[in-house]
Amino acid sequence: MNNDIPVQTLGGQGEVMAHAVDACVHCGFCLPACPTYALLGDEMDSPRGRIVLMKEVLEGGLPLMDAAPHLDRCLGCQACVTACPSGVPYGELITAFRGWSEPQRQRSPFDRAKRAAILKILPAPKVFSVAARLGQFAKPLAPVLPAALRSPLDLLPEHVPAMQPSADFTPARGVRRGRVAFLVGCAQQALTPNFNAATLRVLSRNGIEVVIPDGQGCCGAAALHTGARDEALKLVRANLNAFNPDDFDAILSNAAGCGAGLKEYPMVLHGESDEARAQAFAAKVMDISEYLGGLLADGTLEPTLPASRPLKVAYHDACHLAHAQGVRAQPRDLLRAIPGVTVLEIPEGDLCCGSAGTYNLEQPELATQLGERKAKNILSTHPDLIASGNIGCHTQIQSHVRRQGDRAPVMHTIEILDLAYRGEL
Amino acid sequence: MEKLALTTNSRARKPASAGGAHNALAADLTRLLGPRKVLSNLSERLNYRYDAIQFGATPLAVVLPESTEDVVAAVRAARAAGVPIVGRGAASGLSGGAAPTEPGLVISFTRMTRLTIHPDRREAQAQAGVITLAVSDAARPHGLIYPPDPASFRTSTIGGNLAENAGGPMCFKYGVTGDYVRALSFVDADGELHHVTRDAFDLAGLLIGSEGTLGLITEATLRLIPPATHTRTLMAHFPEVGACAEAVSAAIAAGAVPSKLEFMDRACTNAVEDYLNLGLPRGAEAVLLVDTDGDDLDTVQDELQLVADACERAGGTVRRAATDAEGAALWRARRSVSPALGRIRPQRMNEDIVVPRSALPDVVREIRALGDASPFRLVQFGHIGDGNLHPNILFDPRKEDTHAVHDLAHEIALVALRHGGVLSGEHGIGSMKRDFMTDAVDPGTLKALWNVKRALDPHLALNPGKILPAEGVDG
Ligand SMILES: Cc1cc2nc3c(=O)[nH]c(=O)nc-3n(C[C@H](O)[C@H](O)[C@H](O)COP(=O)(O)OP(=O)(O)OC[C@H]3O[C@@H](n4cnc5c(N)ncnc54)[C@H](O)[C@@H]3O)c2cc1C
Ligand code: SF4
Ligand code: SF4
Repeated sequence: MNNDIPVQTLGGQGEVMAHAVDACVHCGFCLPACPTYALLGDEMDSPRGRIVLMKEVLEGGLPLMDAAPHLDRCLGCQACVTACPSGVPYGELITAFRGWSEPQRQRSPFDRAKRAAILKILPAPKVFSVAARLGQFAKPLAPVLPAALRSPLDLLPEHVPAMQPSADFTPARGVRRGRVAFLVGCAQQALTPNFNAATLRVLSRNGIEVVIPDGQGCCGAAALHTGARDEALKLVRANLNAFNPDDFDAILSNAAGCGAGLKEYPMVLHGESDEARAQAFAAKVMDISEYLGGLLADGTLEPTLPASRPLKVAYHDACHLAHAQGVRAQPRDLLRAIPGVTVLEIPEGDLCCGSAGTYNLEQPELATQLGERKAKNILSTHPDLIASGNIGCHTQIQSHVRRQGDRAPVMHTIEILDLAYRGEL
Repeated sequence: MEKLALTTNSRARKPASAGGAHNALAADLTRLLGPRKVLSNLSERLNYRYDAIQFGATPLAVVLPESTEDVVAAVRAARAAGVPIVGRGAASGLSGGAAPTEPGLVISFTRMTRLTIHPDRREAQAQAGVITLAVSDAARPHGLIYPPDPASFRTSTIGGNLAENAGGPMCFKYGVTGDYVRALSFVDADGELHHVTRDAFDLAGLLIGSEGTLGLITEATLRLIPPATHTRTLMAHFPEVGACAEAVSAAIAAGAVPSKLEFMDRACTNAVEDYLNLGLPRGAEAVLLVDTDGDDLDTVQDELQLVADACERAGGTVRRAATDAEGAALWRARRSVSPALGRIRPQRMNEDIVVPRSALPDVVREIRALGDASPFRLVQFGHIGDGNLHPNILFDPRKEDTHAVHDLAHEIALVALRHGGVLSGEHGIGSMKRDFMTDAVDPGTLKALWNVKRALDPHLALNPGKILPAEGVDG
């Protein structure tokens, strides 16, 4: 797309944005992939429309506050990236744009406080755990609270588990075949500690030793995607210091959103002194299912015990796994490798479940619509189990599936593998 | 799916500067139709000035009708305000058709998506905003399909397809959109609603392919057919583009009637390969994709063999798709060609010529030579079975001379006309090829076209600046 984005004055992030706008040929192929377009049916809430809006704002032809409502409705799900034949890096564009525009936003004091609170709480597992437990007690108040406060409460599990810190080092069982570093994540540690426990067990079982480097923190994705670039940069740099890519075969994450965030580091630091370091780091980052899928493809994955009965597993593609990281086949292959498991495809599988980071807090109306639609689509396959590889999807899907009266367990792909290894599936 | 509206009665925020309508027309429309169907903020209107090829003038207001009555009301309001009206579907058009040439009203049909299948009559009743693919998807459980399949079928609307008389890979054997329309409803320039069929006075036929210049199509009755029981796919690649065209001519002369016959040249193959990574032959100068289909497997395979033989005789290498999935992947590759070219250069001039099949080898070679002699990247692909070619000139408007691009496009158009071809096979004339109309159509015929236009649109309010060259206004 023709543009006059003043790259000289915008710097590294300006280049990132101008490149994405340039690459768009406004063909409209991305429209049917976009969840907000599916709900609203207008061009401003489509990927192509948003690219035009960002271009106009960057060129100075449109006030930021006019474009903002439409950009705020973007889930950042990157379904448009998968759909785009021209290779437009939309994800990089919206992330860079949010970072550039946030300092100029006029927000209400309530909005400001809410955002600050989210950004304080999310990256700190201990604080999050406390907050989640407080939230749990607030649940009975939900009906009288405004929607912006109610929906996050809805998403909290009925029982918030106690924090279980993971050991810094997990040795390989049997012959040592590899050594990986693991990002433990933040909110996930508090809400679903079993994701990490299962991950460590499965890796160890496969002869992989796991190090949880000290000094690591939140991946920074939440801050980055809400436009808090300075905070994000702090977190990014802390992780670059904590993980030395030369020491490990891979740097693993078991949360799709975090994995995608880690892979974005070179873009975040584009044009800055740490760019090369970020590239070396990102080159080693893999999702857990990508890594184990590699072992499976090599024929070196330890076989699991069969499921105790035939199991139909509906696999939900987390946007940040399927669209942002392009990891689709591996989790399905891993599940199929368990004798007795059939993997079901979900109708409209590419459509976001509506969770997307802080979306439930920022856009409760659309988030709920999408959550309901996703749950309906999943349940139409009549699964015994529902699998996904992301904490956000997990809570959103669980909450909407329950609301529709179904009790099918919602699990992380790795939890299912772990159960199979232990003969408990 | 009912569309949500984030408007006045919704908790979601409107733009802070959204002080309501910014002009009399928008105010009028909002009063008539309510705020959820009318867009008047700049941020909203800016997004309704383009299609897949061009940016035009920013409209004064945009209406997203949900019913035919809304369309009627919108047209009347625009007429009263004396502003032009542009219909818009998914804006996937490649000739600038939906990009307004002057500020006015844009009516965007994306929320008119009612679709009913009548299996007993083998018909679909579709509102203008129904996505093309949705028709086949809805018909399939009834054992029926809707064959017209533009490469944009996941995005484009039935209204836009009718307005452009869209074609697609299936059209060689099964025909184009117009061949599947039994009846349609349209709103004329004065806001009158009409229902027309394909009988004695084929007014429906006149509306089809009129690019929104004669009326706004609100609904259509479409013919459905049962799909063929068997389909087989092959891919052949050639060391030279003309050889590919020769193979096509030879195969058809030998009696093959493939259901799809598509061609892409080397640059296209590579652009798609960068996107999908399917293992297409990157080194080949031309790739041909062919489907044969029918209810008798032997015949389908014999037919595929005829094509394979013709390809091999022309120097091609043939690969048959082993599975349906492999066939589907190849077709996805073909559908992605056009936008994948964006990876090479940000902008392109898209031709859409049709030439007699016998002239194909000469035409593709001549166009190749024109491209090689120019400073631009020129690529070709198309529904070659129909003689429909899409030579595309890829360029960067910041670094390259756009007048030279236009001149090269003109030369290509003249090649087609010299070989007895036409300017547009399916993408329409729009504003992109309007200037070339005087080369293609004689003055008397142009006058007749203007007479038709004036009869149906006396105030020249419907999609002005499209198809008909301006000098005709005086003639
Ligand atoms: C990647 C790509 C591939 C394509 N491949 C093909 C192909 O294989 N074959 C093909 O034929 N085309 C193809 N096209 C072109 C385009 O998709 C078609 O022309 C399609 O029919 C346009 O439909 P639309 O809904 O997007 O219409 P729009 O682009 O919105 O509008 C097209 C024209 O129709 C008019 N119009 C729209 N709706 C109405 C209505 N309800 N009543 C009256 N007028 C109306 C508009 O004013 C405009 O003049 C392709 C486009 C792209 C981007
Ligand atoms: S598919 Fe890609 S090139 Fe086409 S409009 Fe969307 S982002 Fe732009
Ligand atoms: S990231 Fe998702 S919501 Fe945002 S424009 Fe792309 S497809 Fe739509």
